[in-house]
Amino acid sequence: MSRPKAQPEAGLTIAMPKGALFAESAARLRSAGIEVPEDVGRRLTITTADGTTLLFLRPTDVPAYVEFGSADCGIVGKDVLWETDRNVAELADLGFGYCRLVVAGRRIDRYHEGAPFPTFLRVATKFTRSAETWFAERDLPVELIPLHGSVELSPLVGLADLIVDLVATGTTLREHDLVVVEEIGESTARFVVNPVRFRAKYDALVKLLERLSAVPA
Amino acid sequence: MRLPAGVRDWLPHELARKREIEQQMRAVFGRWAYEEVQTPIIERFDVMERGLGEETAELLFQFNDRRSTALALRPEMTTPVARLVSTRMRETPLPLRLAYVAPVFRYYEQPQEGRMRELTQAGAELIGAPGIDADAETLFMAIEALDEIGLRDARFDINDARVVDGILAGVELDGEAAREAKEHMKTRNLVALRKFERPALVQFAQRRGGHEAIQAARGVCRTPESLVALDALDELLRRAGALGYESRVTVDFALLRELDYYTGFLFEGYVEEIGFSLCGGGRYDSLLPRFGFDVPAVGWTAGVERLLIALERRGKHVRRRRHRIDVLVAGSDVVAARERAAGNVVRYAGSDLGDEALLEEARAYEIPRVVIALNGTVRELRVGPRVGGLPAPRTPSNWDAR
Repeated sequence: MSRPKAQPEAGLTIAMPKGALFAESAARLRSAGIEVPEDVGRRLTITTADGTTLLFLRPTDVPAYVEFGSADCGIVGKDVLWETDRNVAELADLGFGYCRLVVAGRRIDRYHEGAPFPTFLRVATKFTRSAETWFAERDLPVELIPLHGSVELSPLVGLADLIVDLVATGTTLREHDLVVVEEIGESTARFVVNPVRFRAKYDALVKLLERLSAVPA
Repeated sequence: MRLPAGVRDWLPHELARKREIEQQMRAVFGRWAYEEVQTPIIERFDVMERGLGEETAELLFQFNDRRSTALALRPEMTTPVARLVSTRMRETPLPLRLAYVAPVFRYYEQPQEGRMRELTQAGAELIGAPGIDADAETLFMAIEALDEIGLRDARFDINDARVVDGILAGVELDGEAAREAKEHMKTRNLVALRKFERPALVQFAQRRGGHEAIQAARGVCRTPESLVALDALDELLRRAGALGYESRVTVDFALLRELDYYTGFLFEGYVEEIGFSLCGGGRYDSLLPRFGFDVPAVGWTAGVERLLIALERRGKHVRRRRHRIDVLVAGSDVVAARERAAGNVVRYAGSDLGDEALLEEARAYEIPRVVIALNGTVRELRVGPRVGGLPAPRTPSNWDAR
């Protein structure tokens, strides 16, 4: 028995992360048949000839746009998913944008070799939710110091005992004589969708999922 | 002077729209022979936890009374209704058809539109009825209700909680692994499901469809319960088709609802442009037994505010029904009482206002008559059309909705 065709589906709205993941996200969407322009300039959104709407967002904002359905789907790092804890469905690991979320400290403090932590830890990070969860799971009381940049400076000047930060190559840590104490998790770019929109625009989203997954990582 | 996070006020014109939806829902419940009940907003914490399970109990607003009894605001109505039925209505002949339109409270960390800490649920519970007829009644009542409020293109995904267990058994996952996989199924986390190295799991989490999807599931499902459930879903699709709903009802094997008391049939209703579901429900045969009353039950509920958002976002404002006022009376309690007794809606005007001010007020509120009783004489003014140069009305009308 054949089912009647569902209602015609409007073009997809895709949330794209600006910054480090943008170029590769654009390339992957292009090979999935979506005409992402080479240069988007200062535009916040464009609609392509085939009716796809692209939103260019700060990476940390992508999950909120998808959760509330302002975008049907998006590309975002797993680190942002940990940190924002939004209700989005993670359909594919796109493989690029590899980095690790780690706890790091000064080499001289020897925490990486098992030296005991101070009883009351001060932890500086941009990833406050992830850090809070990770330390809470270990029953370690911490004072979180939310920072917005150059987190690796904070242990050097006595602001924090440890930092929680993203590490790609490790160069920045080495340059500041910091070492990884523990790895919290490995992050790559993910294709995420709004759970309800996945149903409402099922055919279009599954097609995009298959095309994005077909590209070798 | 601020409000707490996640709650809101309703101004007269906003509340009028909300009430209209609530009345439409009540009308549907009534047509299906459901009777409305009311339970307290405050329940004992242990009662709510017994119904909801430990995990969901985290959503509760909880507090103690002065004797340190742990209390909670109800986060949904199914548990209070189950408590009500199992304690107060055991002797009533089954099945029971009960409905509610009621505020509930949830402690969301990040409250936002569509996920407020106070929300209104309109729902129905069919208690003491096992089987597919009761499941179908619930689904079709929900479709009719969304039709009634003007969302005639709303779509409904259906599933059965037993199918997922059948799939998990079919791919030989049990214990902690099965529990984890189910959690990832619920959030449709395909990335996490791939790590179980069971391709069938991933396929099911992304498979939606009609009879052909059910047919495909038969090959994987191992438990007898799941095969029974697949037959029931097939039958529901067929019955939906007979009502002309075939393009609106789809099977989605990854559909699992947040609350853990569901035991069988499940569904959610949604429209394309809203990123959250508008209504949902299912069978919860294990809930009433938790309150010592061993009867099956099925039910559904809609978020009234979400229905409003859906209507407003597509520009389909529910028709604005400002309170109609028949007459503006100045200067006499007796005249006003007479007008009210005649069935009119009467607005009192200050007795110190002159004719022009009274006419202005009448025009602002679209009142057709003005009656002035002063010094023993009763006069009636004709309210003419507004002429240029008058001040703007204090309550502008919505021209789009005219």
